[in-house]
Amino acid sequence: MAGDNEVNLNESKRVVPLNTWVLISNFKLAYNLLRRADGTFDRALAEFLERTVAPNTFPVDGVFSVDHLDRSTGLLNRVYQPAPENEAQWGRMVDLEKPLSTTKIIPVIIFFHGGSFTHSSANSAIYDTFCRRLVNNCKAVVVSVNYRRSPEHKYPCAYDDGWAALKWVVTRTWLQSGKDSKVYVYLAGDSSGGNIAHHVAVRAAEAEVEVLGNILLHPMFGGQMRTESEKRLDGKYFVTIQDRDWYWRAYLPEGEDRDHPACNIFGPRGRSLEGIKFPKSLVVVAGYDLVQDWQLAYVEGLKESNHDVKLLYLQQATIGFYFLPNNEHFYCLMEEIKNFVNPNC
Amino acid sequence: MGPYDSAISAGSSSGSSSSSSSKPHEIDGLLAGAGYKVRSSDLRQVAQRLERLETVMVNTPADVSQLASDAVHYNPSDIASWVDTLLSELNHPVPLPSDLPDFPDLVVSPLNQSMVSEAWTQQHQNISHHQLMAVTATEEDSGIRLVHTLVMCAESVQRGELALAGSLLENMQALLTRVNTGCGIGKVAGYFIDALSCRVFAPQGTASPYGSSYEIEVLYHHFYEACPYLKFAHFTANQAILEAFDGHDCVHVIDFNLMHGLQWPALIQALALRPGGPPMLRLTGIGPPSPDGRDSLREIGLRLAELARSVNVRFAFRGVAAARLEDVKPWMLQVSPKEAVAVNSIMQLHRLLGTNNNNTRNLPIEIVLGWIRNLNPKIMTVVEQEADHNQVGFLDRFTEALYYYSTMFDSLEACAVQPEKALAEMYIQREICNVVCCEGSARVERHEPLAKWRDRLTEAGFKPLHLGSNAFKQASMLLTLFQLRATVWRRRKDV
Repeated sequence: MAGDNEVNLNESKRVVPLNTWVLISNFKLAYNLLRRADGTFDRALAEFLERTVAPNTFPVDGVFSVDHLDRSTGLLNRVYQPAPENEAQWGRMVDLEKPLSTTKIIPVIIFFHGGSFTHSSANSAIYDTFCRRLVNNCKAVVVSVNYRRSPEHKYPCAYDDGWAALKWVVTRTWLQSGKDSKVYVYLAGDSSGGNIAHHVAVRAAEAEVEVLGNILLHPMFGGQMRTESEKRLDGKYFVTIQDRDWYWRAYLPEGEDRDHPACNIFGPRGRSLEGIKFPKSLVVVAGYDLVQDWQLAYVEGLKESNHDVKLLYLQQATIGFYFLPNNEHFYCLMEEIKNFVNPNC
Repeated sequence: MGPYDSAISAGSSSGSSSSSSSKPHEIDGLLAGAGYKVRSSDLRQVAQRLERLETVMVNTPADVSQLASDAVHYNPSDIASWVDTLLSELNHPVPLPSDLPDFPDLVVSPLNQSMVSEAWTQQHQNISHHQLMAVTATEEDSGIRLVHTLVMCAESVQRGELALAGSLLENMQALLTRVNTGCGIGKVAGYFIDALSCRVFAPQGTASPYGSSYEIEVLYHHFYEACPYLKFAHFTANQAILEAFDGHDCVHVIDFNLMHGLQWPALIQALALRPGGPPMLRLTGIGPPSPDGRDSLREIGLRLAELARSVNVRFAFRGVAAARLEDVKPWMLQVSPKEAVAVNSIMQLHRLLGTNNNNTRNLPIEIVLGWIRNLNPKIMTVVEQEADHNQVGFLDRFTEALYYYSTMFDSLEACAVQPEKALAEMYIQREICNVVCCEGSARVERHEPLAKWRDRLTEAGFKPLHLGSNAFKQASMLLTLFQLRATVWRRRKDV
C-alpha cells in the first residue's frame, strides 16, 4: 500500500505547479480528517480549518462584494460587482433602486461553489477569489450561493437552495440590465456546484424561467458502475473512488445508490431532457479527473437530447486547476467563459 | 519533466526553470489569495511534510479522524505548523528540512500580475473593511427613502445646515408613519431619527443620555441574555484565560468592567475542574462607583465567592471603583509578582480613545495600555465592537453606524424572549445615541475596526494569540443552542 502511494504522489507532483500541489494536497488531507468512516462529518473542525474572507464594499482589484440575505431561505448570497467608475461612490451602500445598466447587457452569473456537496462556502477564500476573477474577466456580476451542505442537509436541499437563489436573482430589479430591463442569468459551478447548476437549470426550464447558459466546471456526476477513467485514475491525482463514494452517500438519500437521478443524469433512472427549453452548456472536463467518463457521458446525453453543448476538454488539467492562475488551462477557461456569456455571441 | 515546463520557463526570468520570479522570503502570493501563508522558499519543505503526513495517515491503523478531532489545531493558515501539529499528534517525528529533490523545479510564474491578489496580510490590514448587509427587510419605497433621507440629513448636519436638517427630520417623522416601525428598517430608522433629533434640536452640552450605572447594568444584562455576542465573547475569552493559566497556582483576573460578573462563574467552574486541581483565584473587578450608598462591586464579589466556595476554589475578590477607566492606577490592583495575571476588557478600551483632556503628554489609551503591559500579564483578552465609529467626519460615522446597527437589530429579530429583547434594544439604542449625538469627552462609544486595534496593541507590546480549534469547536456547539437558521460567517478572532 505504501509503495502504491509513493507512485501516486509522484504522478500528481509532476503535472501541477508546486504551490497548486501544496494547496490541493492540503485540502485532500484535511478532508480525509473530516470524513468519518461512519458517514458523519466533523463540521466544527471543518469550519475551523476553512479559510474564509469577509465581503468588502471597497473594491479590491476592481471588484467589490456585499452579502445579501435571502429571507425566504435564511441563506446569504454574496454578490460581486465591478467597482463603480466614480471613485466617490466606493464603499457606499449598493443602490437597490437602479438597474445595473439601461443600455448595456450585464450578465449575472449565479455561481455554485464546489466541495462535493459537503465542503466550502461562498465565503471560502478560494471561491471568493475565483468569483472576483470571473467578474473582471467577463465584466459580469457574480452571485455566489451559500447552499446548505451534506451530510447535515441531503438531497434535494442543495437544489432547493439553488432554485431559491435563481428566483431571488431574477426578481432583483437592481440586477436588471439592457434596454429590456431584465436579468440576464447564467448558472455556473464547479464539482458539486456544476451538478447543482444542471438540476437548477432543469427546474428553471420546467418553470419557464429563462437561463441563458450553464457553465459546468468538472461537474460532479457518477453512477453505480465503475468506469474506465475511475479505475485508471483512482488515487492518482488527489481524488479517490472511495472519497467520491463517501460524498455521494452523504448527499443522496439514505439507502440510495449512485444511479439516483441526482447523480447519474442520463443513467437508467435519469429523466429525459428532450423537448424542454434547456439552456446551452459549456462543460469543462479535466483530463486527470477520474470522474471524466461520467462528465463525457453527460455531454453525450445533452447532445442526444438535442441541446446545445460545448465540451472543453483540458487534457493535462487536474481538478482545481482554476484556483490559481498559474497554468495555461486557467487562462483558456477564462477565455471560454468570457465568450460564452458575451451578449454579442 | 512535466508538461508545464515550456510554458513556465517562457515566463520566468531566466532560462533555467529553477529560478524564482519572487523573492524567497516573500509569502507565495497565490496561496495568500487562498488564505494560506507559506513562504515561497518553504514550498518544497511544506510539500514534503504534506507527503509525509499522507503516508502516516495511510499507515495509521486507528481512526485517523478521531485522532484529528481530539488534537488541538492552531492557525490553519500556516500550513507548515498545521501539518507538524498533526504529525506529532499521530506520534511521528517532524521531518527535518532536507534537500531531497523530490519535487521538480516547477516554478510559479504569475503570468498576469493584475490577476494575482495582494499578499493576504496586506489585504486584511491596509484596506479597511466595510462589512455591509444590505437591508432587504422591506424593499418598499418608504423604507429605502427613509435611509436616503437619513443620510441626507446627516450630510446637512455635517455641513452645519441645521435648519435643513430639522425639516428633513420632520419629513422622516411623516415617512415613519408609512412603514412598519415594529421591525426592520422602520425600527432602526426610528432610533436614528431620535438620535439626530437629539443632536439637532437639543441644546449643546446636554448630559449624556446614559442613565445611572444601575440602569446600564440592567440593560447590559438583558443584552447579554438576548443575543449571543457577549456570551461568545465571554466564552472565548475564558477559554484563552484558562489556557494561559495552565500550570500556575496563583492566578489573578482583572476585569475592566465587572457589571454583574456574568463572565466569571463559567471560569470558576472550569478552574475547579482543571486536572491537577484549581489554582488560587483572585478577581479584581473594576466598575463605576454606586451613588446610592450600595457597594454593588462588593455584592457581586460576594456572590462569586459563594460560588467559588461551593466548588472548592480558593477565591479572593477586590472591587475597584472608578468613574472612568483612565482613573484606575495600577497600584490599586495590587498585583503580586508571583501570580499569573489575565487582563480582561469587554467593550471598554474604545472609551479611552477620546481627546486628551488631562493635557498629559500621552493619550489615555497609551497610558492604560502601557501600565497593562508593565503588569506583564500572561494574557490580555480584548473584546470590542468591530465598527468604524470613531471616524472624524460625522457623515462617515453616521453612515457606518446606520449599517452596523441595522445589522445588529436584524440579528436581534431572532430573539423571541421578552423583556430581554426590548431591553437589549434599549441598550443598543443608547450606543446609537452616543455615537450620533455626542461629541468630545461625552462621546465614549468610539468603536474601531479590528485592524486598528491589532496595530495599536502590537505597538503597545502585545502579540496576538491564535484561537485553537478546541475553543472554536465548543463555540460552534454553543451556536447550535441558538438555532440560528442563517449561516453564520465565522470571523477570525485574534485575541
